[in-house]
Amino acid sequence: MADSAPAQPKPSSSVKLVLLGEAAVGKSSLVMRFVNNDFQENKEPTIGAAFLTQKCNLPTRTIKFEIWDTAGQERFASLAPMYYRNAQAALVVYDITKPSSLTKAQHWVAELQRQASPGIVIALVGNKSDLAAVNGGASGGDSSDDVDAAPAAEGETNEEEDGADARRVPTKTAKAYADEENLLFFETSAKTGTNVAEVFTAIANAIPETSLKGPRGVGGQTNLGRQEERVNLVGGRTEGPKEGCAC
Amino acid sequence: MDTLDKTEWDVVLVGTDLKQSLLALALSRSGRKILHIDENRHYGGAEAAFSLQEAEEFAKKVDEDTSAAAFTNVSISTPDTDEPTSSATLLSPSRAYTLALCPQLIYARSALLDALISSKVYRQLEFVAVGSWWVYSVGSRGAGDEETSSSIAQSGKLLKVPNGREDVFQDEDLDFKAKRALMKFLRFIGNFEEQTEQWQPYRTLPFPTFLKEQFKVPPSLHAPLLALTLSPANGAQTTTEYALPRIARYLKSIGALGAGFGSIISKWGGMSDIAQIGCRASAVGGGVYVLEKGIAGEYNAEGVEQSDAEAPSLRLRLKGGESVTTRWVIGSKPSTQTTPSSFCRSISIVASPLQPLFPPIGEEAPPPACAVIVFPSGSLLLDGEPENELELPPVNIMAHTSDTGECPRGQCILYASTSLSGQRGQELVKNAVDTLLHSIGINPIPTILWSMQYEQRADVALQPTSFYNGDRVLGFSPLNPDLAFDDSILDEVKEIWLRIMGGEGGSFLVFEDREANINDDE
Repeated sequence: MADSAPAQPKPSSSVKLVLLGEAAVGKSSLVMRFVNNDFQENKEPTIGAAFLTQKCNLPTRTIKFEIWDTAGQERFASLAPMYYRNAQAALVVYDITKPSSLTKAQHWVAELQRQASPGIVIALVGNKSDLAAVNGGASGGDSSDDVDAAPAAEGETNEEEDGADARRVPTKTAKAYADEENLLFFETSAKTGTNVAEVFTAIANAIPETSLKGPRGVGGQTNLGRQEERVNLVGGRTEGPKEGCAC
Repeated sequence: MDTLDKTEWDVVLVGTDLKQSLLALALSRSGRKILHIDENRHYGGAEAAFSLQEAEEFAKKVDEDTSAAAFTNVSISTPDTDEPTSSATLLSPSRAYTLALCPQLIYARSALLDALISSKVYRQLEFVAVGSWWVYSVGSRGAGDEETSSSIAQSGKLLKVPNGREDVFQDEDLDFKAKRALMKFLRFIGNFEEQTEQWQPYRTLPFPTFLKEQFKVPPSLHAPLLALTLSPANGAQTTTEYALPRIARYLKSIGALGAGFGSIISKWGGMSDIAQIGCRASAVGGGVYVLEKGIAGEYNAEGVEQSDAEAPSLRLRLKGGESVTTRWVIGSKPSTQTTPSSFCRSISIVASPLQPLFPPIGEEAPPPACAVIVFPSGSLLLDGEPENELELPPVNIMAHTSDTGECPRGQCILYASTSLSGQRGQELVKNAVDTLLHSIGINPIPTILWSMQYEQRADVALQPTSFYNGDRVLGFSPLNPDLAFDDSILDEVKEIWLRIMGGEGGSFLVFEDREANINDDE
């Protein structure tokens, strides 16, 4: 696991990205789409996926996302501080068919503003855009066969469409909130892949140059040129007992 | 699921202290249904790490709740600064700090590191190196100059502990005879286990006696060797059988993870991060985590009806009225000591990086992020008390740089502890911190921006025992406030893991990577 700089081309930096959002809004599905270009219908609640990586190539640099999933620890509001710590980006996800999930997303945004690093880039993402009628702001609307679509019958409704439209959170509402809080905003479909890559590219572009760290470096300050202060547990460790010390 | 009421579990873990969290990690692939609760709002229990604000909440809580077993007498002080100073010397916002209640260093050959690697969670942790060890020496303080009673005014200095044989050779303060004695001892300790005849007679005798009689090590070198044991007791009470394996552990670890250093610390609050990682791994495996949730009532064995001997269930009442059933409950065993001994500890945020404490380890080595400073028994006095070297225990200070992620750049954290309890312990600890700041060679004397004093209950036994009813309610022993991770903790965790798993579950803490796409080669 040599972490030395790659053979010269573009500078590469790793970015810690955390996922937040109500259960079943499609957090993990978004990541699976981004990382593996894969979608699983009726996915079980997140077990297993904890930490995934994916590169995002920009014209001038490569961003390696280290994506942390909540592992369900958010359910009883029991996320550990290490989850937020040093996160340079956050994906706060809601379900456009479920207004309560936007409320929850707003709660997470507030939490991030309180707990996370001051410069964190937050993207608000309305997922399941495939369940909305076409003019809802996203393409690819073959939603009919998704059993997961049962909308929560509460809160504001967008009644510009007929019954085929499961959208319950108008794009306008969420966009206005995102603008107000200075968040990136997208509506995506993990199922069709719509806008998924765009979200990550936008985040990559929004990460300020100054907060970038080298591969596996330490967040906070720029520490380019600084000696690596981490101790490498594997690799460096010699095997077998040594007699006393080195001589 | 927003209520736990009437849920059924295989294992309920109570408390997110390091031990429970390591057990959670060990069980994370077991397929067992795990509920892990902690009555605190934070992870880590006695090994937690706090922002300033969380530390204040902690102090308040301990103050209000006298039953909080592990900690007592917490007080926080923020010395008021009279003169307006530069921004580097101001306290940063609360969350710029991660202060560890129980910082520990981990020796490079500790079984804990093997476990973190084999369980693959090391990828989510970061470690930094422990650099120099220092011993405070008051020089040849004879009977003549004891009137310098103002404790800080002592003209002592910090001496660097030789880091292996090369250092010993180059040490100019040592005369030839002392060097020879020391080298002989170092050769012995390399495989002391096999030379029982040499030390067995001294097993329970004071370690300095052994050094003197077997190796003619001069008294001036006793303090540095005792420092390497991190013994909380003074020399007369530190036995040879206690000291030898600890010095061997220190020496054998040097170079194991890189040239010139033998121990590391986990970034961001010592063991706190390791505890959180264990919990996270368990959550990834499907474990359910609830903070601010304690146990309300006694454990009631419900399933004593032997109809289903395979799955007897215990009913457990939680605070808030919920009741759950489970096959196992793992908590903390109440201390069995009638008069628990206490450690006095303090955490001080210093408005200086204290650079002189952190000389580079070597060209190939990472920069040191931690220094160990030992004030030997007798090197410090308490105001108004006569010099009594045999009475006062040593004070150990671990200095953490901002590379630990625990404080902003330009500052550092001093974690001090001593095995003396009560008011005198607090004073001794304060005395050590002040003395350190005065003897480090920085002018003006670095100021303390914030500090917290507290007492922590100590414990001697590390045996898991059943308590309350029967063999399905197990408890970890309370924290041993050691300054280095004690590998026997893993044995204790393994023992409970074995009982829960009943022989299944493969090797202890050995897992494959969960994610297929982690490529380290980039």
